[in-house]
Amino acid sequence: MKPFTYVTARSPASALELVREQGRFLAGGIDLLGEMKESIATPARLVNIKALPDTMAVTNANGRWRIGTNVTLATLAAHAGMKPALTGLVEAAADVGSPQIRHVATIGGNLAQHSRCWYYRHRDVNCRKKGGRLCYAREGESKFHSLFTGCTCLSPLGSNIAIALAALDARVFVQRGRKVESMTMAELYATAWRTPTAHHSLRDDDLILRIEVPAAPQGRSAYLQVAERSDFDWALVSCAASARVVDGKLQNARIVLGAVAPIPWQADAANAALEGKPVTTATAEQAADLLLQEARPFGDNAYKIPIARALVRRTLMKLVA
Amino acid sequence: MPWPQTTKYFGRSSPRLEGPAKAAGRARYTADVELPGMLYGAIIRSTWPAAHIRAVRLDQVRAAPGIRAAITAQDGAFDVHFYGAELAAVAGISRQAVLDALTLVEIDAEPRPFLVDELEALRAEAPRVVPARANLTDGKAQATADVDAAFAASAAVVEGTFETQVELHHPLEPHGHAASWEGDELTTWSSTQAVFGCRSAFAQALQVPQNKVRVICEHMGGGFGAKFNPGVEGILCARLARVAGAPVKLILTRFEQALAVGNRPSSHQQIKLGADATGRLTAFQLESFGTSGYDVGANTGGGSGSARFPAPYIYKVPATRVKQGTVAINAGLSCAMRAPGHPVASFGMEAILDDLAVKLGRDPLELRLLNDPSEIRQREYRLGAEKFGWKQKYRKPGSSAGPIKSGIGCAGAAWMSGGRGTQAELEINPDGTVAVRVGTQDLGTGSRTVIQVVAAEMLGLDLAAVAVGVGDTRFPPSGASGGSATTASVAPAIYDACEKALAELAKSSAIADPRGAHWLKACKTLGSAPLRVRGVWREGLSTGGAGGVQFAEVEVDTETGFVTIRKILVVQDCGAVVNRLTCESQINGGVIMGIGYALYEERVMDRATGVVLNPNLETYKLPGAADIPEIDIVLLDMPERGVIGVGEPCTIPTASAIANAVANALGVRVPRLPITPDRVLAALGRVPPPSRQARARAALKSAFARIAQMPEPIGPEESPA
Amino acid sequence: MRSKSGAAASRPPEDPAAPSVSRRAFLRGLGTTAVSAAALGAQSVAGELAAANPEALRGPQATAVMLSINGVRRTFSLEPRATLLDALRLHAGLTGPKEACDRGTCGACTVLLAGMPVYACMMLAIDAEGREVTTVEGLSRDGPTPLQKAIVAADGLQCGYCTPGFVMSLTALAQTQPHPTGAEVRKACSGHLCRCGSYPRVFAAALAASKTPSA
Repeated sequence: MKPFTYVTARSPASALELVREQGRFLAGGIDLLGEMKESIATPARLVNIKALPDTMAVTNANGRWRIGTNVTLATLAAHAGMKPALTGLVEAAADVGSPQIRHVATIGGNLAQHSRCWYYRHRDVNCRKKGGRLCYAREGESKFHSLFTGCTCLSPLGSNIAIALAALDARVFVQRGRKVESMTMAELYATAWRTPTAHHSLRDDDLILRIEVPAAPQGRSAYLQVAERSDFDWALVSCAASARVVDGKLQNARIVLGAVAPIPWQADAANAALEGKPVTTATAEQAADLLLQEARPFGDNAYKIPIARALVRRTLMKLVA
Repeated sequence: MPWPQTTKYFGRSSPRLEGPAKAAGRARYTADVELPGMLYGAIIRSTWPAAHIRAVRLDQVRAAPGIRAAITAQDGAFDVHFYGAELAAVAGISRQAVLDALTLVEIDAEPRPFLVDELEALRAEAPRVVPARANLTDGKAQATADVDAAFAASAAVVEGTFETQVELHHPLEPHGHAASWEGDELTTWSSTQAVFGCRSAFAQALQVPQNKVRVICEHMGGGFGAKFNPGVEGILCARLARVAGAPVKLILTRFEQALAVGNRPSSHQQIKLGADATGRLTAFQLESFGTSGYDVGANTGGGSGSARFPAPYIYKVPATRVKQGTVAINAGLSCAMRAPGHPVASFGMEAILDDLAVKLGRDPLELRLLNDPSEIRQREYRLGAEKFGWKQKYRKPGSSAGPIKSGIGCAGAAWMSGGRGTQAELEINPDGTVAVRVGTQDLGTGSRTVIQVVAAEMLGLDLAAVAVGVGDTRFPPSGASGGSATTASVAPAIYDACEKALAELAKSSAIADPRGAHWLKACKTLGSAPLRVRGVWREGLSTGGAGGVQFAEVEVDTETGFVTIRKILVVQDCGAVVNRLTCESQINGGVIMGIGYALYEERVMDRATGVVLNPNLETYKLPGAADIPEIDIVLLDMPERGVIGVGEPCTIPTASAIANAVANALGVRVPRLPITPDRVLAALGRVPPPSRQARARAALKSAFARIAQMPEPIGPEESPA
Repeated sequence: MRSKSGAAASRPPEDPAAPSVSRRAFLRGLGTTAVSAAALGAQSVAGELAAANPEALRGPQATAVMLSINGVRRTFSLEPRATLLDALRLHAGLTGPKEACDRGTCGACTVLLAGMPVYACMMLAIDAEGREVTTVEGLSRDGPTPLQKAIVAADGLQCGYCTPGFVMSLTALAQTQPHPTGAEVRKACSGHLCRCGSYPRVFAAALAASKTPSA
């Protein structure tokens, strides 16, 4: 890694000020240190945000959950109170990486992570996302890449926590300048859809403070993923679902796919098609059709389509089980 | 065989001698070696897949803080042929100082056209990877008379195309050396499978007399065939130490492990197999090619630097036509990897045999029993089939109901193993303790413990009384730890040493049989000096020829393509089992490596940039804790055959058995390794084939046509590497 | 050992030469911001000073980093970019934690941080300040633990390069889950790679050790 200064911020305001000197925020460090070891990121300063006040707690007030940015994935995965209420989130957290990673990786860091595309992560490939000319995946090895894209870059969103949170209508609260702004999960990643060099909508000095999940009385959620190895592997496709289940029928359903787009992939039409319906093979396949109708395979990733279809059905089944 | 029949240790299970040190983190590997004034070394590598290097300027590097030496990999101008080729090496007072200095190198290079796609490399108009040679080389063609007639007369003929990936060794301990000069004498601590091989190589490369070179390898973290030689990195380390006038420790990073220290060649196999109505094989035809990187033959040290492999594998077929070649691409050279050539050969052969069974409507196990010439494997198949419940479990392909389909498969292995040529020193101390020293290596294979077991058994001592030293060229010479030859090389030498030592002790103590109750009394007569005896390998205690069969049971999720292995059953022979505990661990290891080959591992290169795309353990996927199925081992102890080795046969048939089980589950074959979800879905027709695949299929067809055009036979048959 | 501000670094608690004035009073005496050292978890004066002057830039040159390793507090001169693994192997002279990938993918560098398995290669040494680091060397000063004995007995190792890492994760598991199921053992091992293929016997050893009464 290139040399850098290290400073621990004690308030969001000073964190933002400190990071503006060619800095990056340091939470768990799993993502950032990985980039720095390949010299893909060369910040002159690391601003440690783990000591910021009021960022390590999980609280629940009247069913509305509030998760501080520095809550580790291990804490989420083991959170007894959260498991029945935000099942999909807990399941997604439990599937991230390995225990060693989950013990230090934070929810904020997970959402802010950079692309895992093997061209992007390669020290000697100057791909489009890094400001180069070409998206090498387009004509190259694309098996891990997006089915949906709004710009040249083909790299999908790596965070599956984002997928689970999208299904829960979560909002992210971000310190942006002097204000705290809240974003939906869609807004958090929207810039990555249209801007090839972007991983998300956060600017270099935007700081995630917390995530809030609205109360969902009688709400349920579920999460599933498929990877090549049985554990400690990036998902080929992931899926999160949430809904209220009343008399066996879905209300306010959300079905979201991950690892298929630079953003959590949702379609209003798919959600609407599930409204008031029971989960059957037919309704699940209809939702999958609507969710995947604009899918455009590139090179080697067409196989993600049948996996996505299977996951949509299975996640919905898991939701109502 | 003269091995004892009633034994205390031999053939039983004893714990690994160095186990406590390893479990406590005390065992010293090369990376743990600390020497006074030691510097750290690192290598500067080419980022061009092909280039003419006019000059490598190291002035800025040498001037960087903390740097004590910087040398070029070669004198003058030279060519590089792969991303990662060595350009220069640097040594400095800290690892960070060295890493910082690497970026200061100035390279005057002329990039050249490059190819990393084997099919592209086979096109007539492809640029030459190495100007002096055609891309297709190392050809071997052989045929018996009337192959075509034999096919024409066959009751059933099947054809298939099978492909395997380039596989990387990825021992958990990276390649590395620590080198120290004292005057003109060199000592290295090398992570190696061959201390004596390394000694020769260091001596030659550095132009130093062999009696001034010592190589030490006390503990090493896996080799699997990649660590026979010092490699370019070892020589650079020693050169740096000489130039710097200080010891240098140079350990490769995981990134470098994916580029430059060897791999298992790929294969593309087009096979045709015929049988008569009874199912006996009548005719076999193979065209195959694969890549061993930018060259062939060289840089192998103990095995395959070629993409050729034995064919037909295991099964004797009266009429055969085999044409094989190796295609160069701009990638790092292959070298031996655990049973070189055999898992590749097995995959194609066992697959086509199963396909033939399906065509004949026969049980694939029956077809093997009919055609396998090895009586031992026949026995193993029968034994295994009963334990596995083969007859009860076998269903016609694709006949499971529901989306999760189960299937079973089997395959066999043949490996020469055997060994010779080791010498050992046995020291008996006046207090009755014993030390054995052998210049062999323990890669995790348990060879240290084998030595302890044999000595303790032959001398009638408790294990605790026997100390063992390995991995030092000051000890009596042994061969490289490869070819599964170690146990069969080493055990007889220990046996010989013990026999000689007992004879000498009997003479000097005047006690006819010094073992047992008389031991301490006999040893005391030695006075103050130990008795040191040299033993040598001799005939009659070991043989070669290991077999082995494996059965696999899998479940395939046909909606996602995910393969779960439920169970692997191994029935393995290795002659006389010396230490059952460590032998079984070897078998677990071979099977798990085979699982990686079957389902997860693949070195991926990018056609546009020529880089290795997965130079890490994140996207080059090794089997992890969650991927391990139930592994049942039936280890046949055959003392009458003497000591044979087991390290390689146990990894040969695993992927084949798994692939056959998947084909049995699905009713359709995934003809390519690794069997990843995308390939399963493609085989099931659930995915429209990418346009590139149609182009690839056409290129593959013309590639096989080129192989088929090889004249037959090509004069005297070349022996496969 | 003197920290940058000139104050004496703390010595281990049992040292009779430890200062008699309370730390908090000492800090107040220096006129620093009244931040509660305890709340910030710092365990040494050097660390507390850093904590009391919280937004001090450290580095890029080497700076004093106080780590508590296997119960012993030491101050190292480290650049901020030094990883915990660098500190352990290159500065503290330990051989247990291994470097096999340096990317948080193989587990050979696993140590316990405040009792939790983490990848030492993916953590800055500075980020480990204030929390106890345990390596395999710290587990068995009095001889091998039941787990280590079980691993040797079951032959849950071959080349041994991955072994210390597994030992750390399974030791942590034994502390939180004295009677783990096979699935829990596998999950605890899920961040480790073993190229020699000793997994089945590592699992067996962990289960066997959980059935033996503790020493």
